[in-house]
Amino acid sequence: MTHFEVFGLAPALDVDVKALEQRHRELSLEFHPDRFAQADARTRLSALEKTTTLNDAFKVLRDPVKRAFYVLKLKGVDLDSEASAAQAKMPMTFLEEVMERREQLEALKAKRDVTKARVMADEIEKEKSSALVLAKTALGRDDVTEATHQLGRVRYYSRFIEEVEALEEEASS
Amino acid sequence: MAYSDKVIEHYENPHNVGTLDKEDPNVGTGLVGAPACGDVMRLQLKISDDGMIQDAKFKTFGCGSAIASSSLVTEWVKGKSIEDAVTITNKEIAKELSLPPVKIHCSVLAEDAIKAAIKDFQDKRAKRQATAAAAVQPSPTTQP
Repeated sequence: MTHFEVFGLAPALDVDVKALEQRHRELSLEFHPDRFAQADARTRLSALEKTTTLNDAFKVLRDPVKRAFYVLKLKGVDLDSEASAAQAKMPMTFLEEVMERREQLEALKAKRDVTKARVMADEIEKEKSSALVLAKTALGRDDVTEATHQLGRVRYYSRFIEEVEALEEEASS
Repeated sequence: MAYSDKVIEHYENPHNVGTLDKEDPNVGTGLVGAPACGDVMRLQLKISDDGMIQDAKFKTFGCGSAIASSSLVTEWVKGKSIEDAVTITNKEIAKELSLPPVKIHCSVLAEDAIKAAIKDFQDKRAKRQATAAAAVQPSPTTQP
């Protein structure tokens, strides 16, 4: 069963998150283990499994980035897979860009220049948003290669932003 | 997740971090990335004209396993011929560092980086030889 099927939805890039939350609450109550406390072991286990499946699906579908990665996975490219074949080759110019920016960030870290690091992160946050939009457009027209590249960008940019956040946390503590 | 002692050793004291001049005709640069985690790894090899790896430097932005994998391969490839270096597999790297299954892609990255660096060197050399050959004996098809 796909995460979308759990919620009775058709696979889609855009999901009404409010409605999803509402449905999640309803289904959580329906499967809640407390309701099966008196039932036999098999029924209790089944309710527990349904709850786990429901929560896994909810976590992915309510997050636009995770949802886009999941739609790509349904189309056959699992960017989280360990298999090297699934590791999409990013364009060389992009990897050079990532390397350069990570080196800049490293230099800022050494100087503990949190302000400039934040400026870089904000810039990258914008690029991440536009990469996600491009990925969704590509997925919409079934262009898996382009979607993979764009979601690859999203992944690298997320990682960069996390690094800056870690630096900020370190500096403020 | 627990890292193995060898990973921690390389992570805390990585060997051969740095850069080589990528314009040097004897330097091959391999730049690879893993979208699974957003890691990026650059491996540079200084290779003699007879195909021996004289020096290796790396720069990796990623987790401990990715850093350890690249640090390890710089040690392994030094003194090897490029023919031997390309036979290094991710399995050997993963085994040496006792990488858990979720970190196998780090060793894959290191293997890919060696291959990419050697290919870059070979491409450069082929280009140079082609240019040299063209200078010595101009090809009739390219001559007006």
